[in-house]
Amino acid sequence: MTRPYTDSTTTTKDTTMTSPKFTKRRLAALVLAAGLTVGLGACSTANASGGGSATDPVYFGVSAAITGQYAQYGEQFKKAFDLAAEEINAAGGINGRPVALKYEDSQSDPKQSVAVAQKFVGDKSVVLVFGDYSSAASIPASPLYTSGKLLQYGFNNSNPAFTEKGTDYQWSTSITTNATYTWLADYVKSKGVKSVGVTYLNTADWGIPAFKAFKDEADKVGLTITDAEGVLDTSDDYRPSLTKAVAGQPEAFVHVGYGPDAAKLVTQLRAIGYKGTFFGGQDEKSFDGTPDAEGSIIGAQFIETSSTPAVAAFVKAFKAKYPNEAHVTSFEAGAYDALHVAVAAAKLGGATRDGVLKGFQQVKDVPSIVYGKISFDTSTRRVASPQLTPTILTGGKWVEYKG
Amino acid sequence: MFDTLIAGLLRGNVYALGAVGISLVFGVMNVVNFAQFSFFGLGAMLAWLFVAELGWPFWLALPLVLVICGGLGLLINIAVVRPLAKFLPLAAMLSTYAVSQILDNASQIAFTAEFRAFPKVLPTSNFHIGTMRFGTSDLVMLGITAVVMGAMAAFLKYGKTGQAIRATAQDQEAALQMGIPVSLVQHIAFVIASALGGLAGVFIALYVGVANPTSGLNVGMTAFVAATLGGLGSLGGAVIGGFVLGILEAFGIHFFGDSAREIIVFFVLILVLILRPGGFLGKVPLLSTEPLTGTFLGKGRPFTIPRWAWIAAAVVGGILIPVFGDNYLLTTGTQVLIYAVIAAGFTVTAGQAGVLALGQAGPIAIGAYTSALITINLGIPFWVAVPLSGISAAVLTSVLASPIWGVKGHYISIATLGIGTAIVAIIRLVLPQGIYGIPMPSWGDTLLATPVAYYLIDFVALVVTLWVMLRIRRSHLGKVISSVGSDEVAALASGVRVRDYKALAFAISAFFAGIGGSLLAHQYTYIDPTIFTMLMSLLVVTIVIMGGVGLPPGAVIGSVILIGAMELLRFTPELRIVVYGLVLILVVRFRPGGVLVRNA
Repeated sequence: MTRPYTDSTTTTKDTTMTSPKFTKRRLAALVLAAGLTVGLGACSTANASGGGSATDPVYFGVSAAITGQYAQYGEQFKKAFDLAAEEINAAGGINGRPVALKYEDSQSDPKQSVAVAQKFVGDKSVVLVFGDYSSAASIPASPLYTSGKLLQYGFNNSNPAFTEKGTDYQWSTSITTNATYTWLADYVKSKGVKSVGVTYLNTADWGIPAFKAFKDEADKVGLTITDAEGVLDTSDDYRPSLTKAVAGQPEAFVHVGYGPDAAKLVTQLRAIGYKGTFFGGQDEKSFDGTPDAEGSIIGAQFIETSSTPAVAAFVKAFKAKYPNEAHVTSFEAGAYDALHVAVAAAKLGGATRDGVLKGFQQVKDVPSIVYGKISFDTSTRRVASPQLTPTILTGGKWVEYKG
Repeated sequence: MFDTLIAGLLRGNVYALGAVGISLVFGVMNVVNFAQFSFFGLGAMLAWLFVAELGWPFWLALPLVLVICGGLGLLINIAVVRPLAKFLPLAAMLSTYAVSQILDNASQIAFTAEFRAFPKVLPTSNFHIGTMRFGTSDLVMLGITAVVMGAMAAFLKYGKTGQAIRATAQDQEAALQMGIPVSLVQHIAFVIASALGGLAGVFIALYVGVANPTSGLNVGMTAFVAATLGGLGSLGGAVIGGFVLGILEAFGIHFFGDSAREIIVFFVLILVLILRPGGFLGKVPLLSTEPLTGTFLGKGRPFTIPRWAWIAAAVVGGILIPVFGDNYLLTTGTQVLIYAVIAAGFTVTAGQAGVLALGQAGPIAIGAYTSALITINLGIPFWVAVPLSGISAAVLTSVLASPIWGVKGHYISIATLGIGTAIVAIIRLVLPQGIYGIPMPSWGDTLLATPVAYYLIDFVALVVTLWVMLRIRRSHLGKVISSVGSDEVAALASGVRVRDYKALAFAISAFFAGIGGSLLAHQYTYIDPTIFTMLMSLLVVTIVIMGGVGLPPGAVIGSVILIGAMELLRFTPELRIVVYGLVLILVVRFRPGGVLVRNA
């Protein structure tokens, strides 16, 4: 079939035959474009007024994935933030002013997280921003927060570079991956294991530095890595990697990664008949509910079943507010802690951008679900000397492991 | 070795099911159906709902999933695909993309984004051959696939409807004249394809162990490649393509690691397309223009933009926004402008040369990495690095793409998709760590790191891009490139070296993609491979389709609408993507040729 073809290069003199009808349509197209531009402007100026009297809420921004690939984590954060805000406000807020959160969806996409950052920087009522989730979204936004003198609290950013490459305005209460996996190598070795097969997420911001930390420590303490396979969390089928990783018959298996990929890995690892202990995974529903994950061991900062009164109270309150949630994980605990840290800082330094920064530099011993108490090492802008506890997945629940 | 082979067979099984669905719809409608990808995730989640949540038996859940997916498929075809596919396959393809966005997000709202553990329906490791363990579950999956494929083959060969499907795939118009109810046949094909997508989704969940609403995306992409490998429209080919890919992937991962998976997939694809341009069993398209754009170009005439509109746009974009806009508007503006640069540069490939390349994230990534590396390591200033990045993207992409220009029809789009994905995968392999501290632009000692400075830099880049692109369009060269896109055969007959001009157009587009990548890198100051995704490539394609596929100014409007809309829709965070998809469908419905193209 041949088709008639017209291209504007051949019809540049088209204006001569323009009828009024076409002009109207053309106008419509332009109006549409102009409308969008103006609309954007209108949206952005809506929240420009700032300050705050004695009873106005103190606003914290949240830049996170509400839709898209990482939405799972955005949901978990939001639940914990909302619970924490409720409790804090019931207890009088920040010197009588209630705490409120402004959520913006970034899809953890840098194209959107920079726009979100600018939106928060321009919104003078926001005194601190939580987020973003991934390094690829958080770090590109950092220069904007820095130049806007707005504290970016990457409470979930375990990538050391977030604070190392950042400025005074980037803070985090997440334990760095290096610390976690150095601990794990020591722990595995201390259990008398001599050789491990390893899979790690082949991601720039997380898996690769984490595996490097693990390997360095393993080499140091004499733990043999029979084979290490880089895998991607977006893959679904890990059998080819796994058959290779266990070919050298290691005594145990280590996965450097998250919950969903660990769930897939452990299922397939058992399906190919490997029976050694699985070190890895996360206290996360997809992993806990996987039957093959039973007996997995991780180093945890937060254990849902802990008897510590503060943790038990948090878990109870969380389940009361969200009765459909079977489990509470370190993601919720981390977010819950983060709001408390931010509020403590605002109380100490004042509920302004400058005040919050001052508060972060001074705040000490904030009660915490994850750490017991949080104090910052102001040179790294991370939690000073974080501790981990070995935990084992038993009957779909993580409990402290003393074996 | 044997265990890797079994792993490959199991993985190929899922690809084959998906590929058959894609090939079936393509055969009868000439549309690449992105919504098919969503059925994988949806099938998995529905099965999870029925089996894990409601506790229904698996054998009840399975047919129910097929019925629901088939029914949804029918609805999508009636409401969105068929009305557009009749006259504009390109618009239909764009709307299937919108539908897949809506489906994924609706499913996410319904099921939440969480990964769910899928219950063990059948034993998964009760047999073994050598050291490789497998289970009843795997055998049942292979068995079901074999039965379904056998039934499909018999249906297509002997069934009356099956024969009608084949006739429609061969020649739609002839089939219509022979009294075959083509629209009904298309509905049936769509239903079957959607049901197969759902089935593949259930298998993914069974096999992988966990699922979430977006878990079908990667499998979908690979199934799409498998369908192409086999020859689009050929069902036997799709099955072969699926298994070949599954097995090669398994061995590839065994030897080179999981990170090499995408490289393997697309390397195989490109190799096969070079050796057999129509895939294993597909017919080599002899006299084919790029079917998607080819159909489209004759359908409408672009508006001529009057002088006052250019002036108004320049005043608004170059003066009013930078002077009166606040930082949020300016920062959003930088993203709009950079994507407009990339998309405007892309119009020469997509519109004029008629190659709807699907892998622009590749050259964007090359530009970003080049710029980052030479400014950090060699101390080259930003202003020199930007054009160098464009050149580097153009040269490297051209070299990598040089073997594919003999490939014809739809296959060339898919080959470019392969090139783009492979580029990013290679970067991930070579430089897996992100790059930090990419210098911000500066002039003398003044750091130009404010939103308004970024905006103005990007604005100037866009003005230059538009000027160059419009000059190219008006030049003799531009007309020759346009002749390639509008009628390849006529161009060839007139002595135009079609392959070379396609390659040239592609290089020009890669140059501007590289510029855009460089601008992004210096604004973000951090890049890693996760930024340059398939979604980025699709965004570039949607922008040019939205504006009018061959029109550089259209790319600007497309960019304003598509990136601006994402920000405008912030008032409804949960429904943002769903509304976005609806807007996309509406625009395509009422302006199928693009905003700047009047309807035929």
